[in-house]
Amino acid sequence: MAVSNPYLPDLATVVEIVDETPTIKSLKVVLNDREKMAGFTFEPGQVAQLSVFGVGESTFVINSPPTRKDYLQLSVMKAGEVTSAIHELSVGDQVGVRAPLGNWFPYGQMKGKKVLFIGGGIGLAPLRTLILFILDNRADYGDISIIYGARSYADLCYKQDLEDWGRRDDINLILTVDAGSPGPPIREGFVPAVLADAAPGPDDTVAVTCGPPIMIKYVLENLERLGFGDNEIITTLEARMKCGIGLCGRCNIGGSYICKDGPVFALARLKALGFEI
Amino acid sequence: MQDLAAKKLRIVAFLCNWCSYGGADTAGVARLKQPTDLRIIRVPCSGRVDPLFVVRALLSGADGILVSGCHPRDCHYSEGNFYARRRLEMLKRFLPFVGIDARRFHYTWVSASEGERWQRTVIDFTRQVHELGPIDEGREKHAPLTGPASALAAKQAEPLLFTNEDLETLKKTVSDALSRVDVVIAYGRGFDPLHAAPSFIERPQGADGLVFSPLCEQNLASYLTRLNNKKVGVVVKGCDSRTVVQLLQEGLIKRENLFVIGIPCNGVVSVKKAAAALRNGKVLSIAFTEGSMVAATDKGENRIALNDILQDKCGSCRHPTPLVYDVLVGGPVEATKDAPSAYEDVRVIENMPLSERLAYWERELGRCIRCYACRNACPLCVCRESCIAETRDPHWMTQETTASEKMMFHMIHTLHLAGRCTECGECERACPMGISLMTLKKKINMDMLELFGYVAGTDPAGKPPLLTFKVDEERLEEHKV
Amino acid sequence: MRKAAYLAKERWKEFVRALSGRGEVYAPCKEGEAIAFRRLLPEETPCLDGPAVGAPKAIIYHQSEALFTFDFRKDPAAPDKAAVVLRAETEAPPAIILCDRPCDAKGFTIIDRVFLDVDPYYRERREKTTIITLTCDTTYAGCFCTSVGGGPCDAAGSDVLLTDIGHGYYVEVLTDKGAEALNGTALEEGAPYSKEAEERRTASKEALKPVFSGGGEIRLVSVQDAFWEEVSQRCLGCGACTYLCPTCYCFNITDEQGVNAGERIRSWDSCMFTHFTLEASGHNPRSHKWQRFRNRVAHKFVHYPEKYGEPACTGCGRCIRLCPASIAISATVAELAASP
Repeated sequence: MAVSNPYLPDLATVVEIVDETPTIKSLKVVLNDREKMAGFTFEPGQVAQLSVFGVGESTFVINSPPTRKDYLQLSVMKAGEVTSAIHELSVGDQVGVRAPLGNWFPYGQMKGKKVLFIGGGIGLAPLRTLILFILDNRADYGDISIIYGARSYADLCYKQDLEDWGRRDDINLILTVDAGSPGPPIREGFVPAVLADAAPGPDDTVAVTCGPPIMIKYVLENLERLGFGDNEIITTLEARMKCGIGLCGRCNIGGSYICKDGPVFALARLKALGFEI
Repeated sequence: MQDLAAKKLRIVAFLCNWCSYGGADTAGVARLKQPTDLRIIRVPCSGRVDPLFVVRALLSGADGILVSGCHPRDCHYSEGNFYARRRLEMLKRFLPFVGIDARRFHYTWVSASEGERWQRTVIDFTRQVHELGPIDEGREKHAPLTGPASALAAKQAEPLLFTNEDLETLKKTVSDALSRVDVVIAYGRGFDPLHAAPSFIERPQGADGLVFSPLCEQNLASYLTRLNNKKVGVVVKGCDSRTVVQLLQEGLIKRENLFVIGIPCNGVVSVKKAAAALRNGKVLSIAFTEGSMVAATDKGENRIALNDILQDKCGSCRHPTPLVYDVLVGGPVEATKDAPSAYEDVRVIENMPLSERLAYWERELGRCIRCYACRNACPLCVCRESCIAETRDPHWMTQETTASEKMMFHMIHTLHLAGRCTECGECERACPMGISLMTLKKKINMDMLELFGYVAGTDPAGKPPLLTFKVDEERLEEHKV
Repeated sequence: MRKAAYLAKERWKEFVRALSGRGEVYAPCKEGEAIAFRRLLPEETPCLDGPAVGAPKAIIYHQSEALFTFDFRKDPAAPDKAAVVLRAETEAPPAIILCDRPCDAKGFTIIDRVFLDVDPYYRERREKTTIITLTCDTTYAGCFCTSVGGGPCDAAGSDVLLTDIGHGYYVEVLTDKGAEALNGTALEEGAPYSKEAEERRTASKEALKPVFSGGGEIRLVSVQDAFWEEVSQRCLGCGACTYLCPTCYCFNITDEQGVNAGERIRSWDSCMFTHFTLEASGHNPRSHKWQRFRNRVAHKFVHYPEKYGEPACTGCGRCIRLCPASIAISATVAELAASP
C-alpha cells in the first residue's frame, strides 16, 4: 500500500511581492499544477510550509481570503535563514508549498458573538485572515474591535487594510506603536497595556490574539483579568518547525504539536497542556 | 616548462592579499608560465587562514592546498603571519596523522615582488600533487584494524583508596564550603554501585551522600562554565585541576568565584572497561582491596585486577596532586618519576604506513554517530550551542552521516582544542562507541610540547600556543621552499 | 501463527549464508571497543559478548537520508529564471536484522505507530526488513524492560524469535515475513525443544523484576519545576541517550545545495540540545535544560502513552549505561510513579 509523500512539496511560482514594512513582505504564489490550485481549499487559520530549495522551509499562515482560488498569499517577516532567502525571491522564482496544514479558527463557535482582535507586529497576519473571513460573512458576527500595535509606524503591517477597517463604523480600531517611535502621531503604548486601558468587556465576546510570545503571554493574562473565560480566548502560536506534520518532536507543547494540533489553541486547552509556550 | 599529466587536479591556494597575491600578480604581469590547476582564494592575511579551511577543502575533494603569506616580520598587519606560522606547522604535522599525505599541504611566504618565486612555488607544488595523484585514488578498503590500545603502558601503581576518615573530612569540607559558595560539585552515587555521578550540593545535609573512590572518573570541572553566574565549589583530582587551570588561563571562569577542593589521586577506574569485564551484568556491590576491585553481580563474585581496568590516561599521569586548590583532602602524591609517556598510542599510529592510518581513522570514526557527546562533555568546548558543526551560518558541514562529514566534525572538535586540551579524557569517556578520540588530541599536544614547550592546564598565567607567537621561533623552521 | 523450528549451533553459519541470499544482513558486531549493529561480513559471527551500544534503529530509520533531490533547470529563453525538478526515492533493498533483542524489536513497534502510516521512507524499509530477534538469557546493568510492559523474551516487533537452548536455537516463526526469510534455511522440527525453550524463557523473565509498578504510568500535573531542576542538574545535554535509544525519533530537515542541484535531508536530532527549539527571533520555549529533560520524560511516559496506550520506552537501559553523568530515566520514573 503506497503512502503519499507528505515531505514532498508542490511546486509553485511567485507571482507578486509586496513590501508591507521594512521587515515584512507579502508573497502571492500560484501552484504550478493549475488544477490543484483551482481545487485548493483551506480554512482561516491554517498554515503553509514554504520552501526555498537549497535553503529550507518555514511556516506561514495562509493569508489570502478563502474565497480566492487563484493564489495563496503568505506574509513573511525577515528573521532567520529561510525568511531572509524568501525576501530575496523575485517574481517568477520557483518555490515549494506544503499546504494546508494544522487546524483553524473556530469561526463556527464564534457566530453571533462580538470579536476582539489583539495583534502585534506580524501577528496581524493570521488575524487578518479571520477578519477578512468575518467581513465576508458579516451578518454572522457582532461588532469587531481591533487592537493592533507594532514597533513603529513603519512596522505596522497591512496599512491599506488598516485604513479600510478604520473607516468602517462596525469596526473599532485602536492602533498603537511602542513608546518613543518615529512616525505620524499615533497612540503610544505596548499592546497588552493598551488592552488593559481599553478594558473591553468580556460579555458575548471572543478574543483572538497573535503576536510575539512575550506579547501573547501578557495579553492572555490581561484578558483573564478582564473576565474573559478560558474558552473565549483564542490564540494562534508558532514555533520552530521542520516536518509540519507532527512527527519531528520540535514544536510540541506538552503532547500537542503546534503544526498539527494547532496552531490555533483556546486558552483552556493551553492550560490543560500545562507547558510553556 | 614541462608538460604535466593531462588531467587537471584541483589545487586550492589561499593567498594573502598584500604580499602573496601581489606576487602572483607580478608573475602574471611578467607572463611567467605556470600550470593552471591552482585556484586562488584571496584572504586579507595568512593569519586569517583557519587550519579548518585546509581540512574542509581536502575532505571536500581538493587534491592539494597551498597557503602563502608575507614573509614573517613583513606582515602587512604586523603579526598575522606569526600566528599562521604556528597554526600551519601544527596542521602540517597533524594531517598525515589522520592519513592525509603531508605533501598535499604546503605553506610558504612569497612577497609582492617575488614573481619568479611564485612561479617556482606553483610549478613545484603542482608537480608534487600530480605525483601524488587525485586524493581519492589508491585508498585501501577495509584495512585490518590494528588498534594502538595495546601500546599503552600498563600502570603499575595502586589507586589511592579513601579511608573513612578521608571521606568524613571531605564531607565536612564540602558542607563548610557552602558558607562561601552557592553550590559544591562533588561525587555521589550513580545509577548502580559501579557508577559514581556528579552531585550538586546546595545544603550541608546534601554532603551526607558523598563518595570518593577509584570509580569517581567524571571531570567535575566540566560544569564550571555552565555555572558562571554562581559561586561554585568543586572537587577535583589532579587531571581535573588542569581543566580548572586551563579555564582560568583562557578567562572562561573567575578564580574569585571558585572554591577548589583538591583530592590527590593515583588512578581511577574506567567504568566502561570494568563493565565490559563484568559483561555489563547487574552489579550488586563493589569493594576495593589491594590491587583489585571485587564486584558482586547477580552471577557471582568477580575479582578484577585494577591494573586491567584503570583509565588509559592514569598510566602516564604526571600531575596526581591537583595544581590548584583551596584545600587538599588527603596527602599530596608525588608524580612517578619515570611515568611512561602519554603519547605511546600516538607513536604507534605514526609508525603505521600512511594508507593504514587513513583506514584506521576511517574505521574508528566510521562508527561515530554524531551524537556530540564528546563535544558536550568536553570542559573546554564552550560553544556547544553555536558549534559550527551544526550552524547554518556559517555553514561548514551538512547533517549527513558520511565518512567525510564525520571526519570533518572530529577535525573541527580536535583543531578547536589544539593547544588547549588537558587530556582529561571526558570526550573518550562520554563516547558511547568507544572511539579513541584522545589519540587525536594527544597528537597535537605532543607537537605543542615539541614545538613550543607548552603543556596545557599547568600554568594559569600561560597562553595557549596557537593564540600567541614569538617573532623568533626556536623550533620552527621558517623557510622550506 | 507460531511455527516452531530448531537450528543446531553447528549449522549457524549455513543459516546466515542462506539469509544473506534474501537480503542485507545486519547484526551486532565488534567494532573496536564497542559492539555496534552493522552489515555482517561474509562468514562473520555476530558479537554477543554484551549489549549492542546503539539500537538497530538506523537500519530502518536511517540516521540521515535524502527526502528528495532538487535540480534547477535553466530555460535558455529566460536565463534568469530556473525551473525546479523534484525527485523522491523511497525504494529500499530487503534487509534482515539478526540477533537484536526484544527491547530493540519493540522499539520499532513504538516508532511504527507514529511513522508507518505517514512516512513512505520508513514504511518502505520497515516492510522490506525482517527482524530475527534473539531472546535474552541474561540481564544487563540498567535493563528494565519488564517495568514497561516488555520482557526479555517478548515477541513484539519480531518476525522470528530465537531462544538459545545451549546446543542450538529454538526458532519461532511469528509472521509471514519471518517464514519467507527462513524459507530454504536448513531448520529441523522444533516441537521436541519447546519445553526447554519455555523453561529458559521463564527463568529470564523471573530474573528481571520491575523497578517500578504501574508500567511507567506517571502524572506530571503536580510535579514542581524544582524536581526537574534537580534531576537534570548533572545532565550534560550531550544527546547520547537520544541517539542510542530504540524509540527516540526526533529529526531535523536541512537543505544542502551544490551548484545547480541539491537535496533535502532528514537527519536525527535531539530534543536535549538547546537549539532544538530555538526560534529565529531568539525565543526558546525550552531554553532551560530542565525543561528539555522534562519534555523527554513526558514525551515517553505521558504524551505517547496518552495517544497510544503504552510508554515510548522499551526499558533497554542503554541511556542509563552510557550516560556520562550516570542519570537513570528508570529512577526518575520510579520516583514519579511512587508519588501521588
